[in-house]
Amino acid sequence: MPKPAPVIFDIGWNACINCGACVAVCPQEAGFISPFDTIATDRPCDIACMICEDICPVTTITHRPAEPAAQPA
Amino acid sequence: MPHQFSYDLVVIGSGPAGATTARIAAQLGCTVLLVDKRQELGAPIQCSGAVSRHALEEVGLPIADEYIQEPIYGFAIYNQDGQRTTIDYRRLKPGEYGPGAGQKPLGYVVDRRRFDRYLMTLAERAGAEVWLKTEGLGYEKDGEGGCLVRLRRYNQDIQVKAKALVGADGLQSQVGRWAGLRTHIKLNELASCLQFVVDGVPSEGLLEIITGHQWAPGGYAWVFPKGHGYAEIGLGVARTMTESHQNAQWFLGQFMKSSFFQERFADARILEVQGGGVPLAAPLRKQYADYLILVGDAARHVNPITGGGIHTALSGGKIPATFLCQLIQSGQPAHEQALKGYQDAWLEQLGHKMWKLYEEKSSIFREADIPLRDERLYRTMSDYFSPNSEYKKI
Repeated sequence: MPKPAPVIFDIGWNACINCGACVAVCPQEAGFISPFDTIATDRPCDIACMICEDICPVTTITHRPAEPAAQPA
Repeated sequence: MPHQFSYDLVVIGSGPAGATTARIAAQLGCTVLLVDKRQELGAPIQCSGAVSRHALEEVGLPIADEYIQEPIYGFAIYNQDGQRTTIDYRRLKPGEYGPGAGQKPLGYVVDRRRFDRYLMTLAERAGAEVWLKTEGLGYEKDGEGGCLVRLRRYNQDIQVKAKALVGADGLQSQVGRWAGLRTHIKLNELASCLQFVVDGVPSEGLLEIITGHQWAPGGYAWVFPKGHGYAEIGLGVARTMTESHQNAQWFLGQFMKSSFFQERFADARILEVQGGGVPLAAPLRKQYADYLILVGDAARHVNPITGGGIHTALSGGKIPATFLCQLIQSGQPAHEQALKGYQDAWLEQLGHKMWKLYEEKSSIFREADIPLRDERLYRTMSDYFSPNSEYKKI
């Protein structure tokens, strides 16, 4: 299976109920968490399994491709 | 360098499991620091709040108006068509259960904000030190038979020396991950839950449980009395059994508008919106590491059939408190080999039964034929809550 491309998650805070379910299913190591008990939104996720999006009771997690790291000139 | 802060136990997370561990350890003479990152315990609410009276009494908790929202006298289990099995202890054992003098409730629906604060208060009164607005950042061995716990309190970084660390930081547990324990839950074993506290929906002192793939695939729906004439209506679904657009919110909408309860719910007015993940999973296979144990939701001490976690958290707090105090007071370091004894004691008292329930739950949801699966879940739930159930006291 090809390795998925890294993504950055975005939380629609208006619908988020701070339930923590996304963090509970997340296979990332310690610390991939936001100050509001959601998965982290400020750095790329290189697992990109997307199960956090599935578990969300209000479907308020989306993602975009992480920008590739800048290449040295 | 001597450390400013040093305790026998540091407990991270002041929910039912953490606060009970802290309270009982303090009563047994251990020095305890209990921390929680929140400013107000119990919030945001991720729980329906149902707990048996037996569970409270078992860990020596006074029954107090401060946290009780409504007494409960039994159960009503529904199949997908609305047929129900009623297990009302007011009728089954009228000499014992009821609202009158000399009678008792079977259980309660509690306000988790008040309940969690009450448990913390009791821990403080027992002698535990409590810090709110304090987040755990990590821990390491101190080379002197204990560990150093790194905390952040109102933006200030603090190191605390401890003989053992207790991770009671819930479903989203990070403490276990610090030690490399695989605490995350599989998608098919975490029910995605949503509930509304509502006005305008009558209830009858029973916990009502609605089964059926149509209403809550991989889980069930519920209607619980919530005091002051309010009720809570909620459900949990396994997302591996639903279409991608069918989240818990979609199912709750269907249940309220289109189920056999649509007339009963017609005047429902939503007062609160709450949600969460409920592990319908096996207990964590390894709940300890050097100088560290996990309790409560963090160790998945949750009943895999009902999703109930308060009783298992309370009892699962008493066991480690007793074990750790004995270990520490005998002067032994809390090495992994010694802490295995905690897990063995827990398995003996609670865990083996939870494993059995897990096997039963898994076997039901593995059934591919949906009508047959619905029938089995309805029957299992009805048996589970019957007065003759071998699991009555979990």
